Amino acid sequence: MATLSDIKRRITSIQSTQKITSAMKMVSAAKLRRAQDAIESARPYAARMRATLQEVGSAEAGSSHPLFEERESVSTVELVAISSDRGLAGAFNSQIVKEAERLVAEWKAAGIETRFTVVGKKAAEYFRRHRPSQISDDRPVGPKVNYLEAQQIAQRLMSDFENGEVDQVVLLHNEFISAIAQTPKIVPLLPFVSEKVEAEVEAELDLDAAPYEIEPSSETLLASLVPKAVEVEVFRALLENQAGEHAARMSAMENATKNTEELIERLTLEYNRARQAAITSELVEIITGAQALE
Amino acid sequence: MSLEVVVVTPEGEAFSETADQVVLPGTEGYFGVLEEHEKFLSPLKPGAMEIHLTDGRVEWAAISDGFAEVTAKQVVVLVDECFKSHEINVDEAHHTRAEAEQELADLLTSIETQEHRERLENTIVRLSTQIDVGSRLR
Repeated sequence: MATLSDIKRRITSIQSTQKITSAMKMVSAAKLRRAQDAIESARPYAARMRATLQEVGSAEAGSSHPLFEERESVSTVELVAISSDRGLAGAFNSQIVKEAERLVAEWKAAGIETRFTVVGKKAAEYFRRHRPSQISDDRPVGPKVNYLEAQQIAQRLMSDFENGEVDQVVLLHNEFISAIAQTPKIVPLLPFVSEKVEAEVEAELDLDAAPYEIEPSSETLLASLVPKAVEVEVFRALLENQAGEHAARMSAMENATKNTEELIERLTLEYNRARQAAITSELVEIITGAQALE
Repeated sequence: MSLEVVVVTPEGEAFSETADQVVLPGTEGYFGVLEEHEKFLSPLKPGAMEIHLTDGRVEWAAISDGFAEVTAKQVVVLVDECFKSHEINVDEAHHTRAEAEQELADLLTSIETQEHRERLENTIVRLSTQIDVGSRLR
């Protein structure tokens, strides 16, 4: 049976854990807000980019760009697995690793090789141990996602795709659905498919029917536009990953804080019982002592 | 009657101004835009953007590559980076550029380092534009 001081020590230790978890929760909440703002401010650029791409694409029907090229036989796929640098975020990183393994197995069954670009230390740790020969690049997320970083990743992916080293590029990241839900999302990146402009975006930008003059030519514009669109896509994935990480950590820490509360309550009860038991046995001793004297 | 100039980067809207005229660094050379310009699209190369504000002042901004969308009343500039002349620290840019140049000079010429070299060259171009714009009259 644990003595009074043992229980007391455990309570103190859990209390200090609780302080840490609740502080981490608050830090994550603040970071989440900032990450969401970053997603918001990236939106206008991405929306305009898409609209312009659409505009150029429609002006130049059947437009060809090396990044649009669909390969007939796919022998190598580059999987861009995006995770976080730090743990303590629930299943955030493990679900990415799990999903990546599932995809690799699926592709392997179809006779397709996989290469990895790993973003974030957590997934990098795993892949370095389990698939060291398949990693083509790994890098940490860093304290803040910036566009330059996304650009570097995207440029390498594009050059590998263009010179035929890989036939497909797929992004795998946690989709930020809400503060409590993040699920792995698979986004085909290359060959690039320009999506239809959503109706709301179109309304917002007020695209009128008159076509644009394109200087010097639509091919040159497309040549600079398509790589940018790919970069934006990578940037968006990094931003979503960042928001998702903080959201996941926030809910993980909230649960942890709740657990410490429960534990403290239980231990306090145990402590009080033990104290009461000690008092009772002391009383019994005194009473028996007094009776013996009579 | 004036022209609305909006500069958007992936990290948010850099600025928006009302101007009489804008001069932009197109890939085929600098071009000026006045109001009621025909709708057109053009890629941009890194360079200085010149904004003639409606109150007569002229502002400069260093932009990286991207493209411009011109309509009769509006010019939308989509670029990776944009700094107005007063936001640029010229001394610091000089310093960073010197570092990048040194690194580039030390780098061996081989296929493995090509990516790295391109990145450094890109940085140098960007910083040169910033220095150019930053040292102009404000």
